[in-house]
Amino acid sequence: MDHLTMAIESSCDETSVAIVRNGREILSNIISSQIEVHKVFGGVVPEIASRHHLKNINGVADEALKVAGVTLDDIDLIGVTQGPGLVGALLIGLATAKAFAFAKNKPLVGVHHIQGHISANYIEHKELEPPFMALVVSGGHTSIIEVLGYNEFKVIGRTRDDAAGEAFDKVARVLGLGYPGGPLIDEIAKKGNKEAIHFKRVYLEKDGFDFSFSGTKTGVINYLNTEKQAGREINIPDVAASFQQAVMEVIVRKAVDAAEKLGQDKIVLAGGVAANSSLRTMLENACRHKGIMLFCPSTILCTDNAAMIACAAYYKYKEGYLDDMSLDAFPNLPLE
Amino acid sequence: MYILAIETTGAAASVALINEEGLISSEATGERLNHLQNLMLMTEKLLDDSKLSIGDVSCIGVSEGPGSFTGIRIGVSTARALSQALNIPIISVPTLKTFVYNIDHYKGIICPIFDARRNQVYSGAYVWDRQGINITEKIKGDAYSILEIFEELEKSTTGQDTEIMFFGDGITVYEEQILNWAEKVSASGLKVTFAPENIRYQKASSTACMALELFKHDRATSYENIKPVYMRQAEAQRKLDEGILTAYK
Ligand SMILES: [Zn+2]
Repeated sequence: MDHLTMAIESSCDETSVAIVRNGREILSNIISSQIEVHKVFGGVVPEIASRHHLKNINGVADEALKVAGVTLDDIDLIGVTQGPGLVGALLIGLATAKAFAFAKNKPLVGVHHIQGHISANYIEHKELEPPFMALVVSGGHTSIIEVLGYNEFKVIGRTRDDAAGEAFDKVARVLGLGYPGGPLIDEIAKKGNKEAIHFKRVYLEKDGFDFSFSGTKTGVINYLNTEKQAGREINIPDVAASFQQAVMEVIVRKAVDAAEKLGQDKIVLAGGVAANSSLRTMLENACRHKGIMLFCPSTILCTDNAAMIACAAYYKYKEGYLDDMSLDAFPNLPLE
Repeated sequence: MYILAIETTGAAASVALINEEGLISSEATGERLNHLQNLMLMTEKLLDDSKLSIGDVSCIGVSEGPGSFTGIRIGVSTARALSQALNIPIISVPTLKTFVYNIDHYKGIICPIFDARRNQVYSGAYVWDRQGINITEKIKGDAYSILEIFEELEKSTTGQDTEIMFFGDGITVYEEQILNWAEKVSASGLKVTFAPENIRYQKASSTACMALELFKHDRATSYENIKPVYMRQAEAQRKLDEGILTAYK
């Protein structure tokens, strides 16, 4: 018997609803992005995001059902992101998921957004199973997580200040590139020399796996100020490439070190910044060198999407997790 | 025929069931501002206590706002999703007007004021005409300063001996100003009172009464047509429009 999960994701600026068969097969994955709406503000405005989620969610759900060729009655499980994220955005998805589950008397499972990002890889790579080391890099997170089971996580390292994606947004802003910063820096960096300027690599404690990117970010700002004061012209592609190199070098080194130290032979990349081409190339090279298998999701599964939430909900449900009608939003939900 | 009414625009949330005879049962929470967690639980209990299931509900009524932005969104998204999943119609109920149903056969002017911060209230003024949707709107529901409300009330009552009853959480903020104004206008025949605590705030039983009237007047529609009524732009949007904030390239 096929098992159908419907899931809703609305933690930041994408409204998404997906239908997934047997945990790993996408029947539909509709994503309504608000990037254009927030561009003019240079970042996501929570109140505006909430308003757009509410405006869009029912239509997105309707389309997800239509594309999958099923009705709500056919659904066996409803999954929904319950955190972390913007509380006003999360609650639109949660209220909708709860109402669907209540109206149709379907089981309901709340999902941690990062568990969703990691699960995107189960959809992409049908053979992948835990345990493995996960590297999650996104607008809000930079974490190294030991994935011991479908629902068992150990956070090995996390950022102490800015997430990598945040640092990219801020540097893109001072470089006058626009928003969102990640893809813009990635693109322009291709025309630059990554060794042109040396920005500080922050490794924090030796043997530790936590990250700090604010120093590297400040390094870029200071460099730009110094050059401006000296009246020198700034080569933006060089700055972007050198900054990106400084950030990615630390991330890749720490991820590979963590896998080696804990005896994991697989690294799974996840999160919005997982689409970054330089991160992928550097990680591929490092993994090949160390004999570690690397798994990456396709670009569409790197962004916030509901298919990954459906997959995570499916494996939670299979292992006995179930929520009731009191399910609430947790903007700072911990993974462990 | 049962309408399930949802009210989440204020500090306390409530749900109510009404049938065509106007018989009501309702469920409220004493807990403040935890609507997402409580709303479906209250609905579950209300239906259980009424020996009904969600499948027996034939229409959803939802308090559309104004009020707390978050509260409005929880109510509207829940109502729309229920309507979509159950394939039943939905009725959007203007929150300010529902206060007419908080007090039976009141002859004076009903004036709800919700604290909207930034020195504003969401407010309007209404007179119960006959039973029905024939509510006379003395002041159109919108965001005003309290002084604008005083002015509008004076304008719409010139030369009449009438009573005005204030409702809503704005009373807490503006009580003193209202009392001072009341003293000033008492000479011209205006009598000002505050609604007693038990009927002062939004409640789903009133949403249900108004929803039933609107239902009888064929105002039920598809969930696609239901929009929240914020009565105010997002702060960042306002700043952008007023040039306080410059657009990011
Ligand atoms: Zn994400």
